Amino acid sequence: MAVATRLRAPGLLRGALFGLVGLAFSYGITCAVRALYGWDPVLNGNSVALVALIACPLFFLVGLGAFDYWFYWASGKPTRPEDHSSHGARSWKDYFRVNTDHKVIGIQYVVTSFFFLLVGGLIAMLMRAELAQPGMQFVDAETFNGLFSVHASLLIFLFVIPVFAGLANFVLPLMIGAPDMAFPRLNALSYWLLPIAGIMMLASFLAPGGSFATGWTAYAPLSTDAPIGQMFFTVAVQFAGASSVLTALNFLVTIITMRAPGMSFWRMPLLVWANFSTSLLVVIATPFIAASQFFVLLDRALGFNFFNAAEGGSVLMYQHVFWFYSHPAVYIMMLPGFGIISEILSVKARKPIFGYRMMAFSLLAIVLLGFTVWAHHMFVSGMQAWIRIPMMITTAIIAVPTGIKIFSWLATLWRGVLHLDTPMLFALGFLTMFTLGGISGVMLAMIPVTIHVSDTYFIVAHIHYVLFGGSLFTIFAGVYYWFPKMTGRMYDERLGKIHFWMTFIFFNLTFGPMHVIGLEGMPRRVADYAQQFAGWNLFISISSFFVGASTLVFVYNMVASWRGGPRASANPWRALTLEWQVSSPPPIFNFDHVPTVVGGPYEYGVPGAVHGVFKSPAEAKPSGTVATAPTRE
Amino acid sequence: MLIIGAIASLIGIAVALSIDWFPVQGSSQAKKIDDLYDVLLVASVPVFVLVEVVVLYSVWKFRMRPGEEEKDGAPIHGNTMLEIIWTAIPALLIFGLCAYAYTVLVDIERKPKREMVVQVTAQQFAWSYQYKEPGRPTVNTDVLYVPKGESVRFNIKATDVIHDFWVPAFRLKIDAVPGITTHYRVTPVRKGSYAVVCAELCGLGHSTMRSTVRVVDPVTFKGWLAAQQAAKPAGATS
Amino acid sequence: MEAAGAAHAQDAHEAHPPEAHRSSRVEPQLLGMLLFIISEVMIFGAFFTAYFFIRVVNADPWPAHGTTLPVAVAGINTAILLSSSLTMHWTLTSVKSGNRFGLKAGILSTFLLGATFLFVQINEYAHIGFAPHDSAQGSIFYGLTGLHGAHVFIGLTLLAMVTVRAFRGHYSPEEHRGVEVPGIYWHFVDVMWIIVYSTIYVL
Ligand code: HEA
Ligand code: HEA
Ligand code: CUA
Ligand SMILES: [Cu+2]
Repeated sequence: MAVATRLRAPGLLRGALFGLVGLAFSYGITCAVRALYGWDPVLNGNSVALVALIACPLFFLVGLGAFDYWFYWASGKPTRPEDHSSHGARSWKDYFRVNTDHKVIGIQYVVTSFFFLLVGGLIAMLMRAELAQPGMQFVDAETFNGLFSVHASLLIFLFVIPVFAGLANFVLPLMIGAPDMAFPRLNALSYWLLPIAGIMMLASFLAPGGSFATGWTAYAPLSTDAPIGQMFFTVAVQFAGASSVLTALNFLVTIITMRAPGMSFWRMPLLVWANFSTSLLVVIATPFIAASQFFVLLDRALGFNFFNAAEGGSVLMYQHVFWFYSHPAVYIMMLPGFGIISEILSVKARKPIFGYRMMAFSLLAIVLLGFTVWAHHMFVSGMQAWIRIPMMITTAIIAVPTGIKIFSWLATLWRGVLHLDTPMLFALGFLTMFTLGGISGVMLAMIPVTIHVSDTYFIVAHIHYVLFGGSLFTIFAGVYYWFPKMTGRMYDERLGKIHFWMTFIFFNLTFGPMHVIGLEGMPRRVADYAQQFAGWNLFISISSFFVGASTLVFVYNMVASWRGGPRASANPWRALTLEWQVSSPPPIFNFDHVPTVVGGPYEYGVPGAVHGVFKSPAEAKPSGTVATAPTRE
Repeated sequence: MLIIGAIASLIGIAVALSIDWFPVQGSSQAKKIDDLYDVLLVASVPVFVLVEVVVLYSVWKFRMRPGEEEKDGAPIHGNTMLEIIWTAIPALLIFGLCAYAYTVLVDIERKPKREMVVQVTAQQFAWSYQYKEPGRPTVNTDVLYVPKGESVRFNIKATDVIHDFWVPAFRLKIDAVPGITTHYRVTPVRKGSYAVVCAELCGLGHSTMRSTVRVVDPVTFKGWLAAQQAAKPAGATS
Repeated sequence: MEAAGAAHAQDAHEAHPPEAHRSSRVEPQLLGMLLFIISEVMIFGAFFTAYFFIRVVNADPWPAHGTTLPVAVAGINTAILLSSSLTMHWTLTSVKSGNRFGLKAGILSTFLLGATFLFVQINEYAHIGFAPHDSAQGSIFYGLTGLHGAHVFIGLTLLAMVTVRAFRGHYSPEEHRGVEVPGIYWHFVDVMWIIVYSTIYVL
């Protein structure tokens, strides 16, 4: 194809071109405005950069073709019948364009977010290298502050949140018997917002004055008079947030309106329930972080006074608004994992999920309670003292629905036939490690304890036990579990087991001791520390390098198996849920005919149990043997 | 299995309690917080051990053995009694712990009959302390002196961004917030020098924003304060 | 249950996905818009939180010393915006009953009323006599009204699309979702203004 035609057709090339146009536009508009107002100098690098941060991505998306259909529609041309030309992948190139197939988007999501896991992890390695000894060795204080800020922001906004969205994108429509998501074009747009956010966060290292360095929490007023790098975070979060809100809308509408006949809410797999709950959280909470960053943007760029105490602004308001999102966000980062674990445990233990309904209810309970606890991050912030007590109680109560889930999973194991392969090992690892992280969470809910350990390595330990031992373990479990379905290949079981054991052991050696040094008095977010913590920190750093190495085993396994692993059958795990009833990888439109659901999703061990059949509802008579009255012992 | 669990819990608790988790107890508040922490440990270890033992036991007892590839587990869907138990017991435990934590909180924040006030000022990246007595010049130092055994109230201010006034040996911290004054009270019980640490990210020098608190006996303290006040010309109050 | 995947269409260009089963009576587009509005309400909620902290918690005088808010002008503007909700309603009933004149006239007048509102609002900024960087009260005043103005702008963009399509002969009594969904958004923008107006100007 001639370059000129390729430049005119939607795609990455046209996207890049438009991105450049966006840059030119940013120069033009800022200079024009500044000239108009008579500000000096007319060309101000910072203002141009700020405008470009917003304009370039939008121009890029237009060039990429994310809006082509909508522009066509808006211009009032005759309605075009959907020809599905942008649906599905026939070569690897189809992964690099706007694609409306939920399976392609799912893989785009997962691969992109794992890329950011590696980058974020690599940054953690740099941090650990610096922290191996007291004093300053490799980086200066400003860079160090930038490292942990980017580390956490990437891993939260570009890894855990989107990777769950990606896995669900792939399996959720299949699970509920839908040919695609409700709004495929919107789905594609949500994906393409992500790399933009990620690249922006990384690019902040190139900004004059260094990357954003105020932690992933970006407390004002530190963030409102930081160098321009801070704006990369502020704007990137808007893109990542928009991406999650749009995906969540899509999930909710898909789940509510596109379930197969017979798939009542009480026959949905728990992964679907989990994503339903998560999406509710996202839709309701995410606007708050968007707003908090708007405030920072306005304060820093236009001199607003939201957080300027001297002019009547309120410093604590930032934290309330931020945590009203970011506490629910920790459940956004955990509930989809709960769903994954429910799928895997019941298939791998060959047993129905114990207490299915309570599992679903406890998800909803966590959603509700999740909105009532935000100020437990502010126990030492100097807010009105009385707020702490109700927040302590609601926070601690969350242990109850979470406990229901943990205990039900344990009961699911009981008297099962446990297939201890890699997904199952990670699932069991999750059970134990998340319990530990959750328990340290309950300790943190107790105000007098938090008064001492807040902002110490005890918190860092909690973070990693719930996010690494919790979320990341479920992500690993899910990726191994659905790998055959997504790629049509089997992964290497031996490498998988090596990965698990290395990760499990060195994870504990890395983050376990952090509890100790935290209690002893080592604050977080410091590049240098007192001599008394030197021993433990060296130990932690060495262990953390092994965690890094174990991740390399995983990456090798995935890449090698994807390229040359043995072909996977349609249903290697003998699972009942619908995604396993189609070929691996699934056909381009998922199903020839939408299946009919005739029973629960987890009826393992029930003789003759069926979840879905590929018949029309009229043909699919409810079969008598299916456990209509579930056995409850 | 119950017996294994009970034994493992006991061992766990014994180990957990025998470890010295905290820095020295420099205040009367520290003792109460440490005790609360120990109680939390005693409550948590069995929960953790329970989960651990069930997982390990299941792995050992119910793992798939050769020849069972096609076998399924028992089709148990639930058990109402069990579900009620494992909702109710954690709930009770939680309420118990919250109640205890609440009493500790009230205890460590109780207003004493008599207290002295020290003004703490945080700025990037240093601490300073002001002692104001009526009719006396204000003393401004960068080493904090407090008398042993007397209740001290710190009124904490920040001039630029948020900092956090933390003395690990006292176990207490609170943010220094621009625009408002925060406070806490402490009763030092042990003479010596302890670190003052800034615990809220405040920029470039956050990790070096350190200072020292000297707990001295009341007589020494009085002498020190008088000397400081005398060293200041009376007009130089701020 | 055996795998049913083997027999799937080879040539994707000709194949079509199976018709999705409709498991709810609610239209997907409608539901999507309602959920989106929940998000939008929350973003206003966050700005109102800021307002609450500045005005109530900090107990700053409202409006800031030496400034006044043009309650009357804004009141007239409120009336303009509210009447655009009525014309929007008229548009929708027209399209449902096949009245093409009503559709075109209704959507056009809605658009124009909305544009007038925005124009008056911008004019108000020019004459109000304080700037966002003068005080926190100024910041939140501009913040909230500006946020709302941005929503009016988004709403107007949607309305402009509907207008173009209406004049080009789209929409019919059977196919009116394209009017209904932006219409719902427009009503939301109006309702939000009532709340903004009453908290900022009146209270
Ligand atoms: C996946 C993410 C995730 C999850 C799921 C959680 C879960 C919980 N978190 Fe955590 N938390 C974070 C991520 C997460 N957290 C992060 C990132 C921070 C730091 C932010 C920052 O400042 O940078 C943080 C900080 C944080 C704080 C603030 C500390 C401070 O900065 O001062 C607190 C305080 O209350 C807290 C509490 C809790 C509690 C009570 C839970 C509960 O939901 C846990 C419930 C689970 C269990 C309890 C285990 C299973 C239950 C049983 C086996 C039943 C029986 C148990 C008992 C009776 C105890 N967390
Ligand atoms: C999902 C979330 C997630 C994950 C997976 C991790 C993973 C890791 N984290 Fe992170 N972390 C956070 C979320 C996460 N973290 C958050 C939210 C904070 C708070 C930040 C704040 O204060 O604002 C934080 C803070 C934080 C700190 C505290 C910084 C400070 O307060 O000063 C530290 C310190 O050790 C740390 C370490 C690590 C390490 C060693 C890993 C490792 O597990 C990483 C392992 C992975 C890899 C290493 C990548 C793969 C390997 C390669 C690319 C090859 C190169 C490797 C070799 C050298 C062999 N993290
Ligand atoms: Cu001051 Cu950190
Ligand atoms: Cu939280």
